[in-house]
Amino acid sequence: MEQPKIGVFLSDCGKQLSEILDFDALTSFVKTVPNVTLIARGSEFWRGKGLQTIIDSIKDKKINRVVVAESLTKISDVNIAQAVEDAGLNSYLVEVIDLKDHCAWPHQKTPKEATEKAKAMLLAAIERAKLLEPIEKLEFPALKSALIIGGGIAGMQAAVDLTDLGFEVNLIEKAPFLGGLAARAGRFFPTDDCAICIQPPFSDVKTITHTSRKCVYRSGFSEIPNLNILTNSKVVAVEGVPGNYKVTIEKKPRYVDADKCVACDKCVSVCPVETPDEYNANLNNRKAIYINVPTVHPQVYVIDEDACKFHDCAKCVKVCPTNAIDLDQKPEQVTLNVGSIVVATGFREFDSSAIKEYHYDDYPDVITNLELARMIDGFGPTGGAIVRPSDGKPAKKIVFIQCAGSRDKRYNPYCSGICCMISLKNASLIKEANPDTEVSICYIDIRTTGREHEYYYERAREMGIKFVKGRPTEIYADEEKGKLIVDVEDALLKRFLDLEADLVVLATAMVPAEGTAELAEILGLDLEADGFFKEYNAKLRPTETKQRGIFLCGGATFPKDAPTASLHAHSAAMKATKFLTSGKIVKDQRTAVINEDYCGDCEFCPVTCPYGAISLEPTTEDHFVARVNDLLCEGCGVCVGTCPLNAIELRNSRPNQMEAQMKALMSVNGTSKPLVLAICCQECGHTAVDSAGMAKMQYPANVRVMKVPCAGIVRVNQIFEAFKAGAQGVMVVGCKTDGCHYEVGSDQAEKKMDLAKVLLKEYGIEPERLEMFKMVFIEGNQFAEAAQMMTERVTKLGPLKLMGGS
Amino acid sequence: MKSYAIFLGCTIPARQPNYELSARKTLAKLGVKLVDLDNFTCCCPPPIQSINLESSQAVAAYNICLAEEAGLDIVALCNGCFESLAMANAALKKDKKLKAHINEILAEVGKEFKGTIEVKHFLQVLMDDIGLEKIKEKVVKPLSSLKVAPFYGCHSLRPSKLLQLDDPERPTIFENLLEALGAESVEYRDKLKCCGGLLKGISDDTALSLARDKLVKTTKAGADCISTLCPFCFVALDIGQLQVKSKFSEVYDMPILHYSELIALALGVDPEELALRSHKIKADTVLEKIA
Amino acid sequence: MTHHAKKTANMSFSDEVTSRHGGETLTSCYQCGTCASSCPVARLDSSFNPREIIKLSLLGEKEEVLSGDAIWLCCSCFNCQERCPQNVEIADLIYALRNIALEAGHSPNIYSDFASALIAEGRIVQISKFVEKKREEYGLPPLKPVGVEALNKILSATGFTKPEKTEATK
Repeated sequence: MEQPKIGVFLSDCGKQLSEILDFDALTSFVKTVPNVTLIARGSEFWRGKGLQTIIDSIKDKKINRVVVAESLTKISDVNIAQAVEDAGLNSYLVEVIDLKDHCAWPHQKTPKEATEKAKAMLLAAIERAKLLEPIEKLEFPALKSALIIGGGIAGMQAAVDLTDLGFEVNLIEKAPFLGGLAARAGRFFPTDDCAICIQPPFSDVKTITHTSRKCVYRSGFSEIPNLNILTNSKVVAVEGVPGNYKVTIEKKPRYVDADKCVACDKCVSVCPVETPDEYNANLNNRKAIYINVPTVHPQVYVIDEDACKFHDCAKCVKVCPTNAIDLDQKPEQVTLNVGSIVVATGFREFDSSAIKEYHYDDYPDVITNLELARMIDGFGPTGGAIVRPSDGKPAKKIVFIQCAGSRDKRYNPYCSGICCMISLKNASLIKEANPDTEVSICYIDIRTTGREHEYYYERAREMGIKFVKGRPTEIYADEEKGKLIVDVEDALLKRFLDLEADLVVLATAMVPAEGTAELAEILGLDLEADGFFKEYNAKLRPTETKQRGIFLCGGATFPKDAPTASLHAHSAAMKATKFLTSGKIVKDQRTAVINEDYCGDCEFCPVTCPYGAISLEPTTEDHFVARVNDLLCEGCGVCVGTCPLNAIELRNSRPNQMEAQMKALMSVNGTSKPLVLAICCQECGHTAVDSAGMAKMQYPANVRVMKVPCAGIVRVNQIFEAFKAGAQGVMVVGCKTDGCHYEVGSDQAEKKMDLAKVLLKEYGIEPERLEMFKMVFIEGNQFAEAAQMMTERVTKLGPLKLMGGS
Repeated sequence: MKSYAIFLGCTIPARQPNYELSARKTLAKLGVKLVDLDNFTCCCPPPIQSINLESSQAVAAYNICLAEEAGLDIVALCNGCFESLAMANAALKKDKKLKAHINEILAEVGKEFKGTIEVKHFLQVLMDDIGLEKIKEKVVKPLSSLKVAPFYGCHSLRPSKLLQLDDPERPTIFENLLEALGAESVEYRDKLKCCGGLLKGISDDTALSLARDKLVKTTKAGADCISTLCPFCFVALDIGQLQVKSKFSEVYDMPILHYSELIALALGVDPEELALRSHKIKADTVLEKIA
Repeated sequence: MTHHAKKTANMSFSDEVTSRHGGETLTSCYQCGTCASSCPVARLDSSFNPREIIKLSLLGEKEEVLSGDAIWLCCSCFNCQERCPQNVEIADLIYALRNIALEAGHSPNIYSDFASALIAEGRIVQISKFVEKKREEYGLPPLKPVGVEALNKILSATGFTKPEKTEATK
């Protein structure tokens, strides 16, 4: 390796900094440091003439390492890195420090001390620069194809977007037919028109108009050339990496050949088996061979293998005009290779049987909104008539109960968001068609927050729908009257009502679709406490996950209405294309690397890695080693902090680099106070230091800041190193618990610091010398206060006495 | 032979020795040994909890400590005692902070709650330790088709999270135990509603209305008698019936029997030995039906 | 002042209640009214409504809650607590309100009798000679001694205040 030749570029930001820091002293100091071959001073070095100076120095081979003291480092270092790269030097051989926000401004009242600190900062940068290594860019191939799991409106919408852009899309649905909840719901708010409609594909050649929407069945959805639809199928295994997933799918046999079925219904007319129709909420029976409703897709019949008598009957086979029925079809395993995966598995209604006092399980006239929707639907089991399931008589008194299982700490503590609107919609549709039906809605709060939603509430009141502010305690059956009684207090009136009902409709909570937990396991995704898939960041990236190549859309992340689900689908598709368009994923190799000789196959690191980037692989002698996947590794260093045997290092944040920085930062004091080292994560911790400086919040100059990728990288022995290097106190500053940019690092760091405190005590060092802080960028005042507090604390504790001297 | 520390509370010794009598005889016949410990106090039920909840919890814990020291689980006959002791037991076992706090108080009397015993209701001992099959075997005088309206009372079931006796909305333990005796368990409306017992002396009107409600609904369902688990409920429905007659001019003639009395009868205990005469509403019709 | 009253002198009523044994869950209530319709007393006596009592407490109407009759009308059946969707411990909350009311000198006289019996004999109902004789007749074992001393020590350690009888019976 060639000798490091370090160029140090000192920017005084238009002489702002030289009014506080003694730049002559700094220059003289830097001159004394070995391996520094060039020192330049100027107004700025991140653009213009200053940047050119750096470029020329590299090109003239005067330097092969770059240290820049610049301002706004999180912006300026991007420019500098690019310029360095263009000049022919690896951009990772650059160290940029901030003498303005991290030195001059927060210590402007103590300029002499600030200058001494600046010396330490420069020395640290130089010592680190000596040990830097070039980091290469890696390219990984990415297939230009996607898998969408879930054929509801969100999944179908995402499929249309992606196929329109020319990608190969596989859409898989576990039911025999597409449409999900939309197909059963009939109509959606706020437009009260068909639920089962989507933005049509542009690849529909016949209708290159700007038509806003089309029903799925006439949108040509099934004929999109680059769309492969698999119904009756489930994902059972996923292997591979982003850009290259190998997905194993199990196809349940349909027993009907899709290429031959002409949907003539003859099979249904001869089938002798009747079984409750779960699609229609068991309000009617269907045959063992069936199609849900005439408008579904695909228009191919399916046999219910639990109900069918197969070869003991085979009447349908004999009558089918195109020989489409094959009773010997077997389950099939299909393998798909795709570049990205979109999860669109949606949600379902909570099983209200759990709320025993509502008798959903044993009173047939207590139903859910989705079951009511089947009755309202003209294609449904009652042809649009609202009846009592118990005896088929018309339901002339209907009571809705909101929040059945929602906002309930015993079942689902969250508000499901869409149920008020669903009930208002259903209630209004019923009242419109049957003005003499009495409809009441029992509610805790009416939530109509979206655009046009308040109108629904207004219209409902105008139609004479009654509203009772109260959550019923119980539903009971009055056998004499032949009615259900809803026992509720109207809180506004402070009066007890026994509402008579032919039909009670529960607006149930919405919970994750069946199989969500298993799918999350297969895909390596996290779930939130409510059981729905965890968004990568709820504020900014709701359709992405911590897995680069896996996206989320629709109700799979939380119940939502159709407009929101559409938005979500378009977003997920767009995010997925960013990934697919170039056919490759380019990534820096700033990743973890394992020293296989030290690896003790303890399994800690694969379990801790938030990205599943580490796997254990067998070597020849019955031994395992950990191996890092460079594509999945996000360079946080949490594994480094976890490994008990020092077998992992993170490139560009290696222990020797960190140690060199620590020693240098502690080598010059220049204040009358004890030195405190603040190890700050580059995401929130370090930016909190930035903001303290930007706002010129004052804190003492004995506090020295060191940047790490994630607080999780810090090892317990490094705390001891810091004390040995001269720190009297150590602060570790990371992101807040639910905001760690690497999922788990901040909490891992906290646990480790708790452990470190125990060990410090064993070694006779006061544990209060170590403290962990969590803050965000805009909490610069908290950093300043913490720095002040730690300084006062260690000053009070007096000089550190390490066991065995030093 | 499993042993239990029997917790009698206050109301049973003071007003319902018949409950204690039938319970002791029954458990003896079924092979459960009962130990009377020294120094049990009032369990501190709702009237005392109303004065000071913290004191009540500490006294309940004190009583549990006595059983812990004797190495015995507690069997409570009264719903109130069951609730007071079982709730304290469950809460202190679950909440470390609360346990530490109560133990600070108990230290003043030289006791420490450890969480080593269970507090059971009389029904639970029958169900868990003896079991329906064995009870059925031991029945010598099945209560042939006696229609019994089971009345759980409130504090055997609620709050269910802490008491865990049975499903609070659809309990079956009492019904199963009645049927094991050959009796017919009768369903009636609002069977889990309170008897109003604790409102006596505070709001007698409401208390009586609630008692009356039970009598009306069990009569409508065709019950021959009501069976209770709690001395307060017993009094509310037994003596209460006379007060209902007085206030509403309604006569129900609905005998009230503790479950322990029914099981004693079914196990062959001579009715004369059960102090049934102490009931205000005579149980003669019941005795005739099962003869 | 009792030791509780000293601690809570400057708190809002809502905070005072949540700082007491049993009152911790007051602020979870969102006034859905399930407790009211679950309550067997509320249907019969319009002066008692658990939802209303909680609302008044949340709004800080200390005098009205503590000096009123309502809080004494709960029959402690726990139906409300069982059905509450926010896990508010309503029945326990009523105990906490009664505890505070009692320390401020409000309570039905019957509680004074219970407390007197408890302190004197360790039981809330006195065992008469008549009953002791009946036990003997029935063949029941004699009653064991009651731990009155320990009980009183515990009452004292927890600030148990014996309610005084008032002129006006409630």
